[in-house]
Amino acid sequence: MQPCVRCSDPIDRWFASRGWTPFAFQCEVWDAYRSGESGLVHAATGTGKTLAAWGGPLAEWMSSVTSHAQKPRRDRTPPLRVLWITPLRALAADTEEALRQPLDELGIPWSLESRTGDTSAAVRARQRRRLPTALITTPESLALLLARNDAPDIFTDLRLVVVDEWHELMGTKRGVLVELALARLRFHQPSVRTWGLSATIGNLGDAADALLGVRQDRPPRIVRGVDPKDVVIDALIPPVIERFPWAGHLGTPMVPQVVAALEEAASAIVFTNTRSQTETWYQAILSARPDWAGAIALHHGSLDRKRREWVENGLRTGKLRCVVATSSLDLGVDFSPVDRVLQVGSPKGVARLLQRAGRSGHRPGATSRVTCAPTNALELVEVAAARDGVEQGLLEARLPMERPLDVLAQHVVTVALGGGFVAEELLGEVRSTRAYASLTDAEWAWVLEFLTSGGDALRAYPEYARITLVGGRYVVTNDEIARRHRMSIGTIVGDAQIGVAYLRGGSLGSVEESFVARLKPGDRFVFAGTPLEFVRVRDMKAWVRRAPNGKGAVPRWAGSRLPMSGQLAELLRARFGEAGRGVVRGPEMAALQPLFAVQRKWSHIPAPDELLIEQVKSREGWHLFVYPFEGRLVHEGLSALCAYRLARHAPITFSMASNDYGFELVSPTEPPIAAALEGQLFSPDNLVEDIQAALNATEMARRQFRELARVAGLVFPGFPRAGKTARQLQMSSSLFFDVLRQYDPGNLLLSQAAREVLERQLESTRLGATLRRLFQSRVIVRHPKRVTPFGFPLVVDRNREKVSSELLADRIRRMQLALEKAAG
Amino acid sequence: MIGQTPERAAVVDVGGDRMTLLAERAAYWERTRTLLIADPHFGKAAAFRAAGVPVPRGTTTGSLTRLDAALSRTGASRIVFLGDFLHAREGREAETTRVVAEWRRRNASIEMVLVRGNHDKHAGDPGPDIDIRSVDAPLAEPPFVFTHKPAVSDEGYVICGHVHPAARLTGPGRETVRLPCFWARPGTMVLPAFGEFTGVAEIDAEPGDRVWVIAEGAVVNVSGV
Repeated sequence: MQPCVRCSDPIDRWFASRGWTPFAFQCEVWDAYRSGESGLVHAATGTGKTLAAWGGPLAEWMSSVTSHAQKPRRDRTPPLRVLWITPLRALAADTEEALRQPLDELGIPWSLESRTGDTSAAVRARQRRRLPTALITTPESLALLLARNDAPDIFTDLRLVVVDEWHELMGTKRGVLVELALARLRFHQPSVRTWGLSATIGNLGDAADALLGVRQDRPPRIVRGVDPKDVVIDALIPPVIERFPWAGHLGTPMVPQVVAALEEAASAIVFTNTRSQTETWYQAILSARPDWAGAIALHHGSLDRKRREWVENGLRTGKLRCVVATSSLDLGVDFSPVDRVLQVGSPKGVARLLQRAGRSGHRPGATSRVTCAPTNALELVEVAAARDGVEQGLLEARLPMERPLDVLAQHVVTVALGGGFVAEELLGEVRSTRAYASLTDAEWAWVLEFLTSGGDALRAYPEYARITLVGGRYVVTNDEIARRHRMSIGTIVGDAQIGVAYLRGGSLGSVEESFVARLKPGDRFVFAGTPLEFVRVRDMKAWVRRAPNGKGAVPRWAGSRLPMSGQLAELLRARFGEAGRGVVRGPEMAALQPLFAVQRKWSHIPAPDELLIEQVKSREGWHLFVYPFEGRLVHEGLSALCAYRLARHAPITFSMASNDYGFELVSPTEPPIAAALEGQLFSPDNLVEDIQAALNATEMARRQFRELARVAGLVFPGFPRAGKTARQLQMSSSLFFDVLRQYDPGNLLLSQAAREVLERQLESTRLGATLRRLFQSRVIVRHPKRVTPFGFPLVVDRNREKVSSELLADRIRRMQLALEKAAG
Repeated sequence: MIGQTPERAAVVDVGGDRMTLLAERAAYWERTRTLLIADPHFGKAAAFRAAGVPVPRGTTTGSLTRLDAALSRTGASRIVFLGDFLHAREGREAETTRVVAEWRRRNASIEMVLVRGNHDKHAGDPGPDIDIRSVDAPLAEPPFVFTHKPAVSDEGYVICGHVHPAARLTGPGRETVRLPCFWARPGTMVLPAFGEFTGVAEIDAEPGDRVWVIAEGAVVNVSGV
């Protein structure tokens, strides 16, 4: 924390007046900004990145203004100079507060406002007339700005765009939308500077390219912020490992130890991996310490905004001693760091764990610490492996997306609305982004056709056109289409959510419709930390009243359980290798010795270049366990692939289960494993064809297509004030999928859906790499008499899939009609 | 184990008479040689295109091709449409009308009747190019009563459409599938939607209902009754 001698900025003086010294990295960013550079600042949260980005334009203003008049009238504030993009509308308020402070203290006469989905109609109308000097907004609201007919005129004074939490946006369709939007802003105002604020990830070069485009005239400035001196990763070790469950997700046996850790801390965050776990753990902690009621709270993305804000405030002011949260608290401006950070269950990734550790410790630069509470025995190995990753600096990369055409289609309509475009020029602009640098002419032509004539190059559709060519420029001429596009801008598609509210008033948050659909009046469930009784559904809301006691189901959200990252998987295999050789390193591995002894005795602990396969015969049938240790998604693909390839040797039906360590196939007859291994069971050849045959590729593509249909504007969300016309136009994406497959099979959205299934749902690149590794591994087959510690979690997993090559008609003969329960 | 050849039709008893349920999503009343078709929604895709949604061409022709298949398989001499013949007024665009009229002329020898449904009230009766007699619901032909919307009638067993029924089936593991179906309840049977571009709505089947799903060209009884 050396003082910055080069800075004779007013900013520096302001710092001095408060008794602060700027960090060297902040000075570096301010200097770079002054020289017209763009770049990326990366570090853990809450370490001064905000001020690093904000200081530049403030200093610029102050040195260009010669007289300091008193605060001018509201409508004379300077026009838009800074755009601040934040991924979550929930963060906008925090950001506003952080940015406003220096403005006020330095007497800078700028207006500062937010514009998100939560912004009121009155404020929006005012912003329509005149934008503030600095605007905090989301990617979706930025797209709306670009869709204004006067878009070419509103950015003339724009100096800086900041993209906050860029690592969160990267690798998602929203991130691609930002890439395109930034390219458009550069078109409107070529001298604008772009700065990204990010956590430290494994591929910062990609992150900078995605942010700044591939046609930068100078290399991007990548600035490292302050990192904690020391990071400590430790685990709560169960006292008697023999009695600790070998399987499970909730981890509630660890509650007493977690509570003991919380007792020592004035403030703490307990991170869990799912929203359901948050609710369960909140109840568990409250039961153990009922005197903490009112001083502990929970926080997750499905809670009502007011509740979330209340919790965030409580943490900041110290009213709350503990918050149980999901990744919803991973992002955020400057909360005060808490005393203690705990993580229930494996964090599934090194970078994620590091980021959470960064929430602890009182000053940037002090020690960060996160304590993990395992939910089952083997998770202790994951903790040890994650620590190895932090020590070796092996952080996960965020893989950027490649050329999603649905996002491009949406952006093109936005640009057509926002001033119109000439095809060749927009193509050049689009190709300047990292995501579309390799966009082919054919793909571009397809997108234009899709938007002008519905995608059929051979026949004209006179009655259909979203954009039209007028005088050499593409514009939108149809008011209805313009209105519909503006209302549906965005890419986030979730399962249908339904609001939960008290009969007497007050909203709690939202749960998935599928959860509510299964409730009957009188059913109890726990949500937002409160025991509730379900009364009825009406007007798209679930109405509830408080229930007297704490029993009841916890809602489950379908958001995918994050699989273990490739980095962590590799570190895990190394740790198991050590255990197999009898090397004991660290308290976690020491505690697990009794369990390893069992695994070694009954079966084997594989080295990193070995693949362990176990065959067990039980009353249920023949179990085949395979342990690649590569993460759940890869295992789901692998298990289907293996089942398919095994079934080619002999007719056989398998039921399958997967987790982060391996997968299990159960069959009524003995699987021909020896023959299959000789016949290239793990061969990487024909992976794509076999995987598509093995899984119901069509069904998966149909589900994936939901998102594309929404983004590309084929289907529209239900608008609350939708007129009759909008309702009549509601069509399920599933139906679109069927019609397109039959009547327009060359449709590029279909191939994009298939591609996205392979990459995102199956992680096909990782799957291919895993197969190559397994193919070269020494296969060790064991026949234990009972299910081993490795296999046990798979056996108890109730989420089983089936692989079948039967005709649909035969399958459904075995299935049952879902019946409405008799009323009464 | 390879299954039996899937059945392309199922012969069932409803209302005291025999009805053949076809995988083409239609029902055939043998005694009067009448083909029953519910919810064709001709012109729906065109209506969407007119509103700026890029549905590909071909759905009207697809529906009519399937209708021809049902006609030739059964040798029906009459078709009764159970409502929603045309999707919307905008569907009365020249192309849809031309294709349907041409099909009508090719089948001039077949008598055709439309029992009006809610969409027909807005779209208007099929014009003179499409020679189909339109009547208001209910149309009584003992032992049956034909309507568009489900109802129960003293005059006979109701056969209707409007619902676009689909049944959800569940199996071991998390196996689940949703398929268009024929749905027979005491007093009423609902036919699947015939049109190529129609959606479906899941039914609430009760114990005792009879349900046949249509799966890949087969009609399968799933009710266990």
